[in-house]
Amino acid sequence: MLRLPRLAAFAACLIALACFGAAPAAAQTPPASDSITPLQDVLQQVQPQVANPSRATVPQVLGALLAADAPGTVAFLRAWADREVYERPADGLFFFARDTANRNLMLVDIDTGAELAEVTSREVNQIRPNAGVRREIGAALVSFELLNPDPARRLAALENIARSPDSEQIEPLQAAFAIEEDNRISERMERLLDLLNARFATDTATRVDAIDGLSGDISTEARRILNQILQTRAEFAPEIPEGTNVARVRTPGVDMDLAAAYATLADAGLAPPHLGRNAIRDALRNNVVDGTVGGVPVHLLDNDERRREAYEALEAAGMVAPLVTEEDMRAAVAEYVFFDAYLEPDPAVTTAARASLDSTRTAISLWQFLSISLDAVSLASIFFLAAIGLAITFGVMRVINMAHGEFIMMGAYTGYVVQTVIPNYTTSLVVALPLAFAVTFAAGVAMERLVIRHLYTRPLETLLATFGISIALQQLAKNIFGTQARPLTAPDWLAGAIQVNDLVSVASIRVAIFAMALGFLVLLLFILNRTRLGLEVRAVTQNPGMAASMGINPDRINMLTFGLGSGIAGVAGVAIGLVAQVTSEMGANYIVQSFMTVVVGGVGSVFGTLAGATLIGALQKGIEWFNPTNTLAAQTYMVLFIILFIQFRPKGIVALKGRAAGD
Amino acid sequence: MIKKTLLTTAAATALLAASPALADCTIKVGVLHSLSGSMAISETTLRDVMLMLIDGQNAKGGVLGCQLEAVVVDPASDWPLFAELTRQLLTVNEVDVIFGAWTSVSRKSLLPVLEELNGLFFYPVQYEGQESSRNVFYTGAAPNTQAIPAVDYFLEELGVESFALLGTDYVYPRTTNAILEAYLLGKGIAPEDIFVNYTPFGHADWSTIVSDVVALGAGGKQVGVISTINGDANIGFYTELAAQGVSADDIPVVAFSVGEEELSGLDTSRLVGHLAAWNYFMSLDTPENEAFIAAWHEFIGDTNRVTNDPMEAHYIGFNMWVNAVEAAGTTDVDAVREAMWGQEFPNLSGGMAVMNTNHHLSKPVLIGEIRADGQFDIISQTAEIPGAAWSPFLPESANLVSDWKELECGMFDTATNTCVQLTSNY
Amino acid sequence: MSMDIPRQSLAPTKPPRRGFLRDNPSVLWFMGLLGLFTLGVTVLSEGMGIGMVSTNLVKILGMTLCLCLIAIAMDVVWGYCGILSLGHFAFFGLGGYAIGMWLMYARTEIVIRDSLGRGTIPPTPAEISEGVAAQIFGVVGSSELPLIWTFAGSLPFQLSMVVLVPGLLALVFGWLAFRSRVTGVYLSILTQAMTLALALYLFQNDTGLRGNNGLSGLQNIPGALDVPQSVLSVWFFWASALALGLGYMLFAWVVSGKFGSVIRAIRDNEARVRFLGYNVEGYKLFVFTITAIISGIAGALYYPQAGIINPAEIAPIASIYLAVWVAIGGRGRLYGAVIGAASVSLLSSWLTGGGAPNIDLGLYRIVWTDWWLVLLGLGFVAVTLFFPKGIGGLFDYLVRKS
Repeated sequence: MLRLPRLAAFAACLIALACFGAAPAAAQTPPASDSITPLQDVLQQVQPQVANPSRATVPQVLGALLAADAPGTVAFLRAWADREVYERPADGLFFFARDTANRNLMLVDIDTGAELAEVTSREVNQIRPNAGVRREIGAALVSFELLNPDPARRLAALENIARSPDSEQIEPLQAAFAIEEDNRISERMERLLDLLNARFATDTATRVDAIDGLSGDISTEARRILNQILQTRAEFAPEIPEGTNVARVRTPGVDMDLAAAYATLADAGLAPPHLGRNAIRDALRNNVVDGTVGGVPVHLLDNDERRREAYEALEAAGMVAPLVTEEDMRAAVAEYVFFDAYLEPDPAVTTAARASLDSTRTAISLWQFLSISLDAVSLASIFFLAAIGLAITFGVMRVINMAHGEFIMMGAYTGYVVQTVIPNYTTSLVVALPLAFAVTFAAGVAMERLVIRHLYTRPLETLLATFGISIALQQLAKNIFGTQARPLTAPDWLAGAIQVNDLVSVASIRVAIFAMALGFLVLLLFILNRTRLGLEVRAVTQNPGMAASMGINPDRINMLTFGLGSGIAGVAGVAIGLVAQVTSEMGANYIVQSFMTVVVGGVGSVFGTLAGATLIGALQKGIEWFNPTNTLAAQTYMVLFIILFIQFRPKGIVALKGRAAGD
Repeated sequence: MIKKTLLTTAAATALLAASPALADCTIKVGVLHSLSGSMAISETTLRDVMLMLIDGQNAKGGVLGCQLEAVVVDPASDWPLFAELTRQLLTVNEVDVIFGAWTSVSRKSLLPVLEELNGLFFYPVQYEGQESSRNVFYTGAAPNTQAIPAVDYFLEELGVESFALLGTDYVYPRTTNAILEAYLLGKGIAPEDIFVNYTPFGHADWSTIVSDVVALGAGGKQVGVISTINGDANIGFYTELAAQGVSADDIPVVAFSVGEEELSGLDTSRLVGHLAAWNYFMSLDTPENEAFIAAWHEFIGDTNRVTNDPMEAHYIGFNMWVNAVEAAGTTDVDAVREAMWGQEFPNLSGGMAVMNTNHHLSKPVLIGEIRADGQFDIISQTAEIPGAAWSPFLPESANLVSDWKELECGMFDTATNTCVQLTSNY
Repeated sequence: MSMDIPRQSLAPTKPPRRGFLRDNPSVLWFMGLLGLFTLGVTVLSEGMGIGMVSTNLVKILGMTLCLCLIAIAMDVVWGYCGILSLGHFAFFGLGGYAIGMWLMYARTEIVIRDSLGRGTIPPTPAEISEGVAAQIFGVVGSSELPLIWTFAGSLPFQLSMVVLVPGLLALVFGWLAFRSRVTGVYLSILTQAMTLALALYLFQNDTGLRGNNGLSGLQNIPGALDVPQSVLSVWFFWASALALGLGYMLFAWVVSGKFGSVIRAIRDNEARVRFLGYNVEGYKLFVFTITAIISGIAGALYYPQAGIINPAEIAPIASIYLAVWVAIGGRGRLYGAVIGAASVSLLSSWLTGGGAPNIDLGLYRIVWTDWWLVLLGLGFVAVTLFFPKGIGGLFDYLVRKS
């Protein structure tokens, strides 16, 4: 039972190898159809291609397997794609395998399903087709998978079609569509049929219909299909050949580089090549005779003029190829027409596709604008969260807290520690937020009592003292948590994105942060305007002396304000840790931006900070929009703008009166 | 019992007898990796690997009958400090060889000092090439032993036609991307199908950039991302990729600076299938690798610690140096340098690494897919490729070759047949 | 030897009033100590003396002198004039970049001329500049010489840039800021924004200064490529000592006399000085600009000793450290700034360089690399809280006692 197939396989293997050596196409010759060939034997005919799958060779394998149609082929293909097939190098046979208790593998015969032998992982090779191969396999399996009873498999097959559309998928898809009962799936099928028809249908009318149906469709897959139809190739000819579907005619020197146009001619052997400076130099170097080239002494050849002179002398003597001047290039280029031709020969199709694509242009710009605006809002909400605590302390106490960034970091690390203790991400987040607030509130109060209280009369020195605390805290964090970035993972319900359409999607976590920023905004406004504490805070902000004489204890208010500001920083730290990295230096990354947010917005005002954060967020995204390849430039120009802005509005957007307004 | 004591005493005496000789000829090995600052995250591990290798060698009897002594200094991720400490190691501590550095800028900082004082240096990290110093042996990958094969894989296996080159704004991504751009243009990729973006170190706001990449898909071509994003910024990048649901089937991402160590700070379950290209992966199933990992876990005392490519580079580099010193019979820099050429040592991936006369290694290129457990599934492994110092794809280096044995020059212009310079461009 | 030069230069900078030195005995003390120190280091150095001080240490000491120079500039602008600038390291860096461009360009040009000159055909000027560009910018994936490098080959031009670029930037920035009456904490944040913007700008590759990589190999001086580093280091040490001496004299002169009184008055009550009819903005602008220029010169001397300059050097944190040095050393006294800069930066490199022995407490091992910054931070808080006059304050105490 065992030995026979193996021998046969060996022979088949030899034959297959011989065949492949001669002509790869031979593999596709169908085997004798009267008897059923076991799958293993079929596989051995294409052994190297199965064992070392590559996108280039996988069509051969699929052709051979599907043509032979041995039992279990489809199951094998699925297993192959899922990396469940193993090769034994000793004899080249393929097996399925399952893990055994002692970390070894139990080989399973692919034809019989019988367990054969236990081996270590080094005795067999796990075959790992890459994503490109798997896509091909998936596409080949589409016609089987579309009829799979499992709806998830059918959907997956449809995604496969969307990824690698192919003219041969139309037929099975139509057949499957006819019998599909699940509404969701049949809708998707209908759409894919449209897409496939637009691209591959054989008659023009069907295609144009399908393409017109895509008009105004801003989805990526629709535009991808349209763009594929509209692919062009740059060509040139003495005159445009009959029947060419021309996309655009180019004029060298106007919308095409003259040198590039000439170079294409030269490459095609239709004109002598244009020599660069190096080529001239090399030609001169090869023609040095007795210390002169073309009558010019070598030591004088240190400028282009003399070199040209020497070259022309050589040219006159017929020793080098003639120089091509710009006029020569113009003349040569003028003999040809340069144009872009659609790969699609049918002008009706390309015209329809162009019209469909153009119809989406405005909508796309609007959606993209919305998308970048949402990004700006998201960025602004992060800046707001990071800066609002600073704004409160700065406004009420005129104290610049350089350690504010480190409070953000402390909050984030609190979140990290909570996650290591409580494995459930949702619960840990629920615990981490108030805990981060508590921890940083306490740290803020401690700092106020121990340091800042003694420096109220010297604002510049609080800046320096808090900086000292900042570097100490940063280093402490390094000593405790190490320099490695720590993960702060969002729960699954916050991990995805809210997808409006293919152009606009916002990560859920960013929406949550926005909501949190909004929540803090409302909360702060409530505390400041509707509570006793808020009244007292406002009183101290406006005139501490008078407030004190009215029975308010400014020390207590300062302490609470500082605690509140620090506590918010801690919560912001948890939020920032969820979208970015938790490191000991994360606070330092936000501190300068937070300062600018506060200063631009206007010190001590909640609305001012909101305005500052919005302005900075919008500005940064706006600059990125114009220059998407260089994020650093966006940041640079933003800072420059802020410097200029402060020149013209030194007190920020919302200028307060009272103590916070300073002198 | 008595016998045992006697034996121990005898051994001790033997050791004592030998120790004066040992003390006379201690060989000093400088270790120049940042133990603090932003690069400590990557470099501290390499310091530990060096200590492990030196311990192991001493246990085997040292080199030339001498014990090795590690001289560890901390350049604190401060680039000028690399130059300062290199001078200190070579003139004050008088080390015989230095293993160290991670970033290109730190290497460029110490190069002038190294060449001035004729030191010997082993650099273990994948880098951008365009350099071949007389005094440096590059045991990490050059672009042609990492980036180019990975791009070939994108072109041939994944059918990528539209490329997004995302990188952190510094030397390695800049030069690598310049090489890749030239390479892709040469492969017939249109300039408009290459999107390049640079972000600062530690960049956190990735939503717009990821959206931009996703939007490339509308162009009708398969999109692929080539990431030279460095360090911490990867966390934000991959988190955003996962959040926007970019699967490896739709837009594959291949990273050149993300290995096991970087992934250990991430929840990789949503990144399964994205790629990385290296010369080594911890998941390699070879006896050499198993032994190396076991030794590492024993040395560091923590079985959760991962191994990565630069660690293998130090492993190969250190062992080659030991063999070269044994072959030369001295630690003299010039003698060891010449003995290094053609040194062979088994890779952890099963083949044989060879040190070429351009001071770069021949190593296989591996491409791995990220698994849910933070390790890589190796899906492609080439034969050994000799590292090239100069990229043939950039016009300014197209004519340059490096051969310290025959041409005695690291920057030889084949067009003019002259040695451009004997020192490096730094 | 270098001591003589500041003394000679006394003649041209002869103060307008008699007795400048008598009024400021600390200047004489300082000059004497600096001269002795320079002499001592020279005699002990490897390059010129008996070799007890390694070349490495000579370089560190030379760089420390440059840091002392920028520290006294910071002291004048903050301790005397009350402008807490968190951006003076930007000027320091610009000075370094200006001289670095020449050092890189000229050295590379020598290499390229030499290499191309060995070919059969002599190179054209365009070929040389292309070759230089490919050498310098090949590292960052480009091969074109940016516009700002047009005159990089000219030493006089780049030397004038050392002074002009920081000076003009300070002038324009200061004019804008002081004109709008931006003061106090706002001004500090604004200067910090300036240095951040500059650092971000330089980090970009498109700036044409090699982005994050910066300019390297600056220790090789074109024209002196055969001079060993052990000798070069002493030359630069002398130059740094000379610059510090001259800078100290200049600032001591500036802060004494009527001008000094006015700027101190501005520090203590700006409004009142304005009401007295002084052009406060003009005074502030002058102080801001002159200190920026001195910072630029300090940078131009520092980076050839460090060997590499890159944008990380001028990140906002560097300027904050500068303020820390001055605060610890003692504001409002020039020697305080020198003491602060020298002691903190030397201590810092000793402790982080692994020079200090770790302390084993049994339960816990104190590793200085890990704890130095914590200590510095807390020490700094303590100085601000309890010794606002810094280390320099101790001298007052001693003088009063005696």
